Order: sequence, then C-alpha cells, then structure tokens
Amino acid sequence: MVDWLSLAVPLAYLGVLIGALATFSSLYRKRKSRKAASLEPWFPAHLQRDIYFSLMHLDPSTQQTEKKLPAVPESVLKASLLRRATEDIRRVLALRSQKQALSVLLQRGSVGDDLWQRFLRAEKEMEDEVKDVVAEANAYAPNWGQTIFQSANEMMNNDLYRKRMDDHQSKLAEERAFWDKKKASIQEGFMKELDTPEESGAAAAKAPEAAVTSTSAAPSVQSDEDAVLVEAESVNTPGSGGKKKKGKGKK
Amino acid sequence: MASEIDIFNHYPLFIDPSSKAISLPQSSAYTSVQRSNINTELQELNDLHRSLLSLDPPNIPPPPLPVNPKRSAQITKLRDSGNAAYRKNNHAEAVRLYTYAIEMALARPGWEPVTLAREELAGLFGNRAQALMGQQAWPEGYIDAKASVDSKPVGNVKAWWRVAKCLAEMSRYAEAKSFILKGLEIEGRTSEGGKELVALLEDVDAALQRA
Repeated sequence: MVDWLSLAVPLAYLGVLIGALATFSSLYRKRKSRKAASLEPWFPAHLQRDIYFSLMHLDPSTQQTEKKLPAVPESVLKASLLRRATEDIRRVLALRSQKQALSVLLQRGSVGDDLWQRFLRAEKEMEDEVKDVVAEANAYAPNWGQTIFQSANEMMNNDLYRKRMDDHQSKLAEERAFWDKKKASIQEGFMKELDTPEESGAAAAKAPEAAVTSTSAAPSVQSDEDAVLVEAESVNTPGSGGKKKKGKGKK
Repeated sequence: MASEIDIFNHYPLFIDPSSKAISLPQSSAYTSVQRSNINTELQELNDLHRSLLSLDPPNIPPPPLPVNPKRSAQITKLRDSGNAAYRKNNHAEAVRLYTYAIEMALARPGWEPVTLAREELAGLFGNRAQALMGQQAWPEGYIDAKASVDSKPVGNVKAWWRVAKCLAEMSRYAEAKSFILKGLEIEGRTSEGGKELVALLEDVDAALQRA
C-alpha cells in the first residue's frame, strides 16, 4: 500500500519545480523573440527595392484615378531591378567586410550580443533578397539571373570610378585660380626686382650672361642673383621639357 | 520571418505616359531630405532605363564580357587622331580630340567592365595632360595626370612624371617630391621611366634646397 500522504510532499515539490522552470522558459523565450523583432535593422530602408515594388504595384492601384495611365513597361521594371541588384551588391560587400571584424569584437566581448543578432538577421535577409532578385531576373529573360549580379557589380564599380574622376575634374577651377594668383605674384615679384635697382634690371634682361658675369657685378646685384637664376631656369625648362616630350606622349 | 521579404515601403510614383519617365508627385508628404533622395534615385533609374532601351530586343544588359567593340574602336580612332595632332605640335587640337575621346570613354554604359574603362581613361588622361603641358597649362595638366595616375597607378610611369613635372612648374616642389617618391615606389628606379623620375627628383631637390 502506497503511502500517498508521505509521497505528496515530494510530488508537490516536483510539480512546483517543473512548473516554475516551464514558466521561466516560456517567458524567457517570448521576451527574447520580442527583443529580436524590435532590434534595429542593420541597413536603412532599401530605397531601390521599395521603388521596384512600388512600380510593380503601380498599375492596379492607380486605375481608380485615371484610366489612361499605362501599365509600367517591362523595360522600366528591368532598369529598376538592375538598380536594386546594384544596391544589393553594395550591401552584401558591406556585410562581408564587416563580418570578420565583428566576430573578433564579439569574441573579445567588446560588442554586445544584440549587435551580432542584428548582423545575422541582416545577413539572412540579404540572402533572401539576392535569391529573390535572381528569380525575378530569370522571369524577365531566361538566364539573366546568372549575369545580373555581374552587371550590377560592374555598374557599382563604374559608378565609384566615375565619381572619383568627377572629383578630380571638379578641383580644376580651384587649381587654376590658385595658379593664376601665384603666377601673378611671381611676376609681380620679378617686376619689382627688375624695376628698383637700375643696374640690376639691365643685368636681369640678359639673364644667362648675368649668371656668369655676376662675380664682376656690383655687390648690390649679389642679392638678386638667386632671382635671376630662377628666372633663367624657368626660361630653360619649357624648352628642355619640350625635348623630352618628343620621346613620350605617344602610347 | 518568411513574410518579411514581401514587406516594402510604398511610394506613390507617377509614370509619364509618353516618355515613361518615373517621378514622384509633388503632393505626397515626405521631408525634403527623403524627397531629394528619392528624386536622385529616380533620376538614375530613368537614365538607366534610357540606356537599356538602346539595347537589342531582350533589353537586358549583356554579360560584362565580351565588350561591344564599336565604342572602343571609336575611342581608339579619336585617340590616334589626337596623337597625330600632338605630333604636329597642334596642341589645342590634340586637347580637343582627347577631350572627345575622354567624354566617350566616360559615357561607356555602366555594365561594361570597369577595368577596361580605367585602362582607357588612364591613357587618355595621360595624353591630354601631355598636350596641356605642351600649352604650358600646368594646373589642367596636373589634374589630368593625377586622374590618370588614379585610374591606373601601376605601369603608368609617364603619368607620375607628368604630375610631378606640372607641380614643379608651379613651384610646388614639396608636393612634386611626394608624388615622385610614390611613383618610384610603384615603378622602381631601374626602369626607363624610373630613371627620368630620378632625374626629376634631383631637380626638385635642388629647387627645394634653394627655396
């Protein structure tokens, strides 16, 4: 005969224990999932993707306003899809370059688990996104899915490159203004040096000789020798540069 | 989670019936920053759309390789006539022709390989720099030579020399020296161009001493 009364205590103990554990576990999981859902997304809104979908949904929704609105032509959708793929490439590359650093930081405990969760979620989202783009591309033209990301990659790189070139050319006005000013000031300097002492002006006019004969010139000219030398050189260099150029320039 | 891929922010876009250009109607409520972001994106989209329309029927960009040879041929032709004009010391004409070639190379559709564009533009910018230097237009030459070096740093020793030369002509010797050293680091001193760089380095050093 089992003694129910004496067993009741351990059974109650077990029941309370298991109940408490179960409650804790379910609460914990709920909270965790809620937290994961409320985490900030890794990237800002994907504008190109939004535009693509907005275009896809454009025709049925606008029927009520005007009847003559045409359906969105497929070429526009293709262009939009290509823009979307370009942005995807940018994001995938960003994720790839961040992953290494982030995992090191996580191991050292420098960053929290939240950040890692956000990152993993972004990674998964991008995977789905890429698959989606490939599927869409294949729907527009057979086998486009295989090359769309190659094209998108080149487009991104070309974009970057063109921007760099634009940057270079945009500095032109600034450089030109700088040089004009400097040239004017150099010329002014020469003019002053030429004008002030009478005899040194005569010497500077015959610049190459002046450099040679300066030892015999008056001591007041001595201070001008540097300037004369510089000028003599600047007269020379275009000629010598021109000679060099003959051999170069052609590819 | 699975439904997340289907979520998107809807924009009330408008499509022009004749030109098929996409735009954002004025009435919609967005902040000016958002609006300008969307508008630049739409601008790019419309440009891309126009360039897609010029393609053959499936209207999708071809794979990056092989490249359509037409544009390359035209660019080469322009460059050759530019070289010919340069050889006749007709620098202004050479600059004009090189500029056309550069514009054409810059207008290459985006899906063509970027390495090709870099290679081409490095040569063209380098040549235009040379022609500009022939006219003693140092700042313009400096900018072009720098663009050339930026496009193709390796195996482009002439462009390094030109950057430094232009800077030296503008008496910016310190900058010239740093460019020469960078060029030497990449090209090495022993090559033919390297020797010219070393010679220029000596000049620049002498000028620095005087200053």
